[in-house]
Amino acid sequence: MYDELIFNDCTHSKDPMMGCALEGVAGIIAGIRHVSVVIHSPQGCAATVASAYDAHEIDFTQRKTACTHLFETDIVMGATDKLEQMIREADQKFATKVMFVVGTCAADIIGEDINGLCTSLQPEIQAMLIPVVAGGFRGNKYDGMEIGLNALLPFIKKQGETIPKSVNLICPQASLNPTWGADLKWITDTLKRLGVTVQAVIAHDSTVREIEGAGRASANILLSRDAGYTFAKKLESQFGIPLILSDIPLPVGLKNTTGFLRLAGKYFEAELEAESIIKSGEEFVVDILRRRALMIIPRYRNCRAAIVADATFGTGLARMLFEDLEMIPALILLRSGSEETKNLLQREIDEMGIKAKVAFSVDGYQIKQALAEARVDAVVGSSWEMYMAKELGIKVAFDLFAPTNRDVYLDKAYFGYTGMLNMMEIMGNDWERAFRSDEIRWGQYAE
Amino acid sequence: MPGISQDSIVFHGRLSELYILAKEGKIPTHLQGSHTRPCKFWTATKILSGIRNSVILAHGPSGCAFGVKQAYKLTNSRNSGAPYEPVVCTNADLKSVIYGGEKNLHEAILEVDRKYNPDVIVVATSCATGIIGDNVDAVSEKMKDEIHAEIMPIHCEGFAGDYRSGFDLVFEQIVDFMQPPTPSDRERLRHSVNIVGAKMGPERTEVDTDVKELVRLIEGIGAEVHAVIAGNCTLEQLKKAPSVAVNCALCLDLGYPIGKAMKEKHGTPLNSTILPYGIAATEKWLMGAAKYLGMEKEAKAFMQSEYEAVREEYEAAKSFLEGKTAIVEGHDAIKSLSIAHMLECDFGMRPVIYNFHPWSAQARETSIDYLLETGVDPEILITKGTLAFGKYESMKQTEDELLAYLGDVNPDETVYFGSSLSFPHIPLVDLNAILNRPRFGYRGALKVAECIKTALTYSFRPRSALTKQIVFPKNAGLASAASLTSKLSSDMPDCTVYAQHRRRGQCMMN
Repeated sequence: MYDELIFNDCTHSKDPMMGCALEGVAGIIAGIRHVSVVIHSPQGCAATVASAYDAHEIDFTQRKTACTHLFETDIVMGATDKLEQMIREADQKFATKVMFVVGTCAADIIGEDINGLCTSLQPEIQAMLIPVVAGGFRGNKYDGMEIGLNALLPFIKKQGETIPKSVNLICPQASLNPTWGADLKWITDTLKRLGVTVQAVIAHDSTVREIEGAGRASANILLSRDAGYTFAKKLESQFGIPLILSDIPLPVGLKNTTGFLRLAGKYFEAELEAESIIKSGEEFVVDILRRRALMIIPRYRNCRAAIVADATFGTGLARMLFEDLEMIPALILLRSGSEETKNLLQREIDEMGIKAKVAFSVDGYQIKQALAEARVDAVVGSSWEMYMAKELGIKVAFDLFAPTNRDVYLDKAYFGYTGMLNMMEIMGNDWERAFRSDEIRWGQYAE
Repeated sequence: MPGISQDSIVFHGRLSELYILAKEGKIPTHLQGSHTRPCKFWTATKILSGIRNSVILAHGPSGCAFGVKQAYKLTNSRNSGAPYEPVVCTNADLKSVIYGGEKNLHEAILEVDRKYNPDVIVVATSCATGIIGDNVDAVSEKMKDEIHAEIMPIHCEGFAGDYRSGFDLVFEQIVDFMQPPTPSDRERLRHSVNIVGAKMGPERTEVDTDVKELVRLIEGIGAEVHAVIAGNCTLEQLKKAPSVAVNCALCLDLGYPIGKAMKEKHGTPLNSTILPYGIAATEKWLMGAAKYLGMEKEAKAFMQSEYEAVREEYEAAKSFLEGKTAIVEGHDAIKSLSIAHMLECDFGMRPVIYNFHPWSAQARETSIDYLLETGVDPEILITKGTLAFGKYESMKQTEDELLAYLGDVNPDETVYFGSSLSFPHIPLVDLNAILNRPRFGYRGALKVAECIKTALTYSFRPRSALTKQIVFPKNAGLASAASLTSKLSSDMPDCTVYAQHRRRGQCMMN
């Protein structure tokens, strides 16, 4: 049983570690190719939407977003005319087939009738208008992702027969891997080897047509442990598409990857191919580490580590650190805290028999407080935790997650066997840097 | 006009003419729907991030607080080694929006005071709580005796003003923290100045920043800098700030509101000039300070020695540039005006500011007034791309219009002062690069001279096909809405600020 941390003075104030619902909604929309967005908001919200586009690494030349720049008079008098004009202009300039019209806090609170306007304007607009009300107060980024995914439901149709051995990959951009696209590629390639086709990716570089066809898949795989459960359950109830592999960690580390593949192989009746992937993958990891990283055994063994991550990686890292690398995950702080996540982590911790201190939906204050009291040797996290660790005197910080202070030009998966090595390579470099002397007394060499 | 058709031109004339047209509403000054700047909340919190041991408590949902925390605080941690600093919010949800969030705010203030033990708590309103009308002033006032920190409400709802208004509001309001000068403080600080109009936090230790250069200049004449407001200043420094001999504006537009407010409230003199690019502006800045410090003699001697140190290269650049044309990229209005001032006054060039958005003619009134008063009235050229839907700083249309405008001008007669992300065939001087700092003062003037020399020496090299394709790919669509750092992302050397999921090396709006 995990030991859940309790923090004082955190009921009414929060030092947030993620954006609001608007960013989540925009994160889903940004995953769809050739659509445009009109944000009905003051101009600052455009930066939030831009962040969502960043998460998908949409080339800056391909972003089709416009903002109504709401000001005080608009708040007092209403700004439906302004929105109408912007929709018309964006329709003409962007010429996309679909346009999302997103209302943020200001528009949401003053009650702009975005739905009504879209309905009445639709006959005169080329693009299909999809209104989404996304006031930031409706939740955090993960909640917003559910709102965004929900807006896609009307697109999905059950036309034709279910395609055997086909899946939808539900992948809200909730992942903290800075080059998350590589994880999607890993899973797509791996499924292909198991004889499984990907019917729709929801949503990353996806087409509207692709999403429309999602109703014919035979299963859904959720590539997040932070967001998307509600949407997946709706697909299950509305289209009879079962959500599979959702109650185990994602393929993070050797054992989790093997476990994930074995279950996937079993579900899709491709056990032999799964075993083949496992065999070659494990041999690859062992071979690389034997030749290039033998020192990790004494280095990491019984190193007390804190994991500060999203649940997508945090729930898997616990086993990777404990069983694969013989570290001790003494503290696990997760960005989200759904019941599904809590249950999953509970099972993992019980199975491994570890006594980790745990907290969910942590904010910045809680992370720093927990790190200060945890007496750990190392922190696995992002730049945030790296700087906190430095301040707190924690010697080693592995800068794995977004926002990272590393330049990453080529996509690197964290899922799968190679993904584990990618993470370990970063850890190896950060470890070496941590123990380099910051202040060398050059004078003593000159004497 | 070389190359460009009249159809592509929205305005070509003097800055003074554009200014009048903008004032009379005869040229559109609104930003296109695809153009966005940070809102009032962002700009207000950018200034507040420069007050040490203060906590911004955003009364609203989490997104606003998180955005500015990541952009400003995390960047400070990375660049300047600053400790982790929170930006806290009341996490307003649907219930708060319906029933009000004053009670929650009250409790949040108590929590923040206990958790962080800050010198200052600034309660910053957001769109959501601004619209529902939570009485933040009353709650803050009531809390004054219940907490250890000083508390100040700031009304910076994103819809409540343009980009600039957040800067002005905070600079005017933090004057309320200040104490009236006392004779003993005045005596103690009689050889001290404040640098006003700074933002965000500590300076990078490994970069020769412009602020550091200004500090060096002040110290060079034998005076001291009491505080850089608000660039990592303390509450204690703010309190005593009115007792200095003079406030020196770092940036005229941003320094003016606080300088004016301090002058009106406490009688602190204000030395405000345009950004001290080049020797003429630097000397004006320095003498403006020296006058109030009573150190004019020392300043003159120092200026002479500083000038001697750069004279040779500076004069060489001047002799080469005199009489030539300078095309100055106008995306960053204040910098472009300052650079134009330097090129005309120091180097005797004919500056033409390219694509100075008419929006700036309204937003940058202070700098424009100053420039015109000093007799500098540069040419302005605005092309259609600037007013088109799309991100004009980065779109192909404005680049094509630039190239058309330049046509086949002689590269020996014309120099482009702007971002390396443009690709004119004439020598290009990019003063924003991290290696080209400082840009202010005599060392800055030398740096500018060196940049010009390097640009001219290597002007025979065609621009890289690789870099050109990175910026302007084939079949590029419209770039829009804060999707790319302004090409003159000037606040941050190297133009890297953290944003969601952006990694090092990626850019962010300034």
